[in-house]
Amino acid sequence: MSTPNAPTGVCPFSGATGPAETDPPAEPVAVPPTSTSPGTFAEAPVADWVTIPDLYNDPFPLYQRMRAESPVHWVPAVNRYMVTSYAACHEIEQDEARFSADENNSLMKRAMGHSMLRKDNPKHQVDRDSYGSTLRPGTIKKHWNQIFASNHAKSLDALIAKGPGADFVWDYAAPYTAENLRLICGFHNATQEDLQRWSQSMIDGTGNYADDPEVWAKSAAASAEVDAAIDEMLPYLAANPDHSLLSGLASLPIPLEAIRANLKMTIGGGLNEPRDVLATTVWALLNHPEQLAAVKSDPKLHAVAFEESVRWVAPIGMYPRETTADVVLEGVHLPKGSRLGVVLGAANRDPRIFEDPESFNIFRPKKPHLGFGGGVHFCAGTWIARAQVAQIAMPALFERIPDLRLDPSSQSIDAGWVFRGLTKMPVTWG
Amino acid sequence: MPTITFAQSSGATTEITVAEGTSLMRAAVTNSVDGIVGECGGQAMCATCHVYVRPEFTDQLLELSDDEDEMLDCTTAERTDSSRLGCQIKMSPALMNIVVDVPADQV
Ligand code: FES
Repeated sequence: MSTPNAPTGVCPFSGATGPAETDPPAEPVAVPPTSTSPGTFAEAPVADWVTIPDLYNDPFPLYQRMRAESPVHWVPAVNRYMVTSYAACHEIEQDEARFSADENNSLMKRAMGHSMLRKDNPKHQVDRDSYGSTLRPGTIKKHWNQIFASNHAKSLDALIAKGPGADFVWDYAAPYTAENLRLICGFHNATQEDLQRWSQSMIDGTGNYADDPEVWAKSAAASAEVDAAIDEMLPYLAANPDHSLLSGLASLPIPLEAIRANLKMTIGGGLNEPRDVLATTVWALLNHPEQLAAVKSDPKLHAVAFEESVRWVAPIGMYPRETTADVVLEGVHLPKGSRLGVVLGAANRDPRIFEDPESFNIFRPKKPHLGFGGGVHFCAGTWIARAQVAQIAMPALFERIPDLRLDPSSQSIDAGWVFRGLTKMPVTWG
Repeated sequence: MPTITFAQSSGATTEITVAEGTSLMRAAVTNSVDGIVGECGGQAMCATCHVYVRPEFTDQLLELSDDEDEMLDCTTAERTDSSRLGCQIKMSPALMNIVVDVPADQV
C-alpha cells in the first residue's frame, strides 16, 4: 500500500472524543441474546396505562415499567407498538429488510415530503450520497469549526448582553444552532429566525397525531417558504459555490423533489438536536458540580459529557419503523405491517446495558448508546453536532461565564418524548 | 471462502468464514464479535469498526479513501500505521485468511 496510514491529521474535536487516560477501559456490550425460534414467542402486552400527557411530561418512569415487563408493548394512546429494550431497538436498527423506514401514512412524509429518512436502500443511499462531504469531519475541521466559533462568539455576546435571568435555550442555544444550520444548508436568503420557525412548524406537522388542521396549515406554509428559498438559492449557488449542502446539490442531477424533502428533514433534525443537547448537557453539569469541575479541568471531558447527555436524554426519543413480514422480536410476535416506535430514549436507559442508567454520570464506563440511531440511518449530522456543541460552544461558554448557574428563582422545564429537551432554562451569573 | 480472524487484546481470537464481498465489519457484527460496533452500518461515518490489520495483509488492501482517512482520525483508540475501518474492507480471494487486532476501545 503506497499511502502512508499513519496519523495525518486530527479529528475536528480531537483529543476530545476519547476518555481520560485514567478511565477504565470500556467493557464489551453484552446484548442479551435474541430469541427468534418459532414457537417460543408471546403476543405484545397492551400498555393502556400509557398516556400522551404522561409521556410528554416525563416518559422515563413509564419506560422503566415497560422495559421491566416486556421489550415491546402495544400502546393504544400512540397507536403503535413501542419498543423499549436496548436489544430490541438495536436489532431493528441493524435490519432494514424486516424493519422498513418507508412507513405508510407517514406524517413526516406529509409534512416534509419523502426524505432519505423514510427511504430504504438502495434509494436511501442515493439521497445520502448527494449530501457529499459537507457534514463529514474533514470539512468540519477545514471549514465549519471556524464559522461555528464566530457564530458562537456572537450568540454568547447576546446572552451576556441580555444579563442574568436570560433563558439559556431561547436567548443562546437556539439562535446559535439555527445560525450554524442556516449556513450549513446554504440559506443565504433567510435569517436564523426563519430557520427556527420553519423547523418548529414542520416538526409540529411531523408529530401531528391529533390531525389538528391549524398545525397542518402552519406546516404547509413553512414548507412552501422553504421551497421558495431553495428555488432562489440553487441557481445562485451553482454560480457561486460554497461548502453548503444546497451548493453541493446545485451541481448534481438530483430531482428537485428529493432536494426539497431532504433539506426539510435536515432543517428539522439539524436545529432542535444540537440545541437540545447543548442545553441538556449544560443543565446536567450545572446540577452536578463535581462533574462540572472535572470538565473544566480536563477539556477532553466536554466530548464525554456530550455523549453521556445524548445517552441520558436522547434528543430524538423515538422514531418509526414498519415490519415488512411477520417477525418475532426479542420473543414478541409482530404481524406484518406493524407500526413500531423505536424508543431510543428508553433503550439508552436499559439497566441490562447501563449501570444506574437513570443518572447522568460522565465517569460511567463508555458503551455505545443508540442516541444517534444506528445502521444505515445513523445520524448524518452526528459530527456536526459534536463539533458545534462539544468542540466549540461548551469550552468557550464556561470560559467566558465561569460562574454560570441555574437561576434559583425560576424553574427549568424539560418536555417531550418524540423529541425531548429543555423548553425553559433560566440562568444567572455574577 | 475467506476467513477472518479477530484477535482481542485479551488474547482471545474468533475465526469467521464469510462469503466474498462481505465487509469485515458486517462479519463481526453479525457474529457478535466483541469490540466491533459498526454504528453507522458501513458508511464510514462513525469510526466504531476500527481494526488494526496485521502487516502481512496490508499490501492486499485497497488504498485508503479520503473518507476513510478522515474518519480514522476520529477513532477512540490510537490510530496507527495499521489502522483501517472494518466496513471498508471487503472480503476477497486476496484476503483469504486475514488477521486483525480489535482495539481495546471503540467508543
Ligand atoms: S461502520 Fe461506521 S465507520 Fe465503519
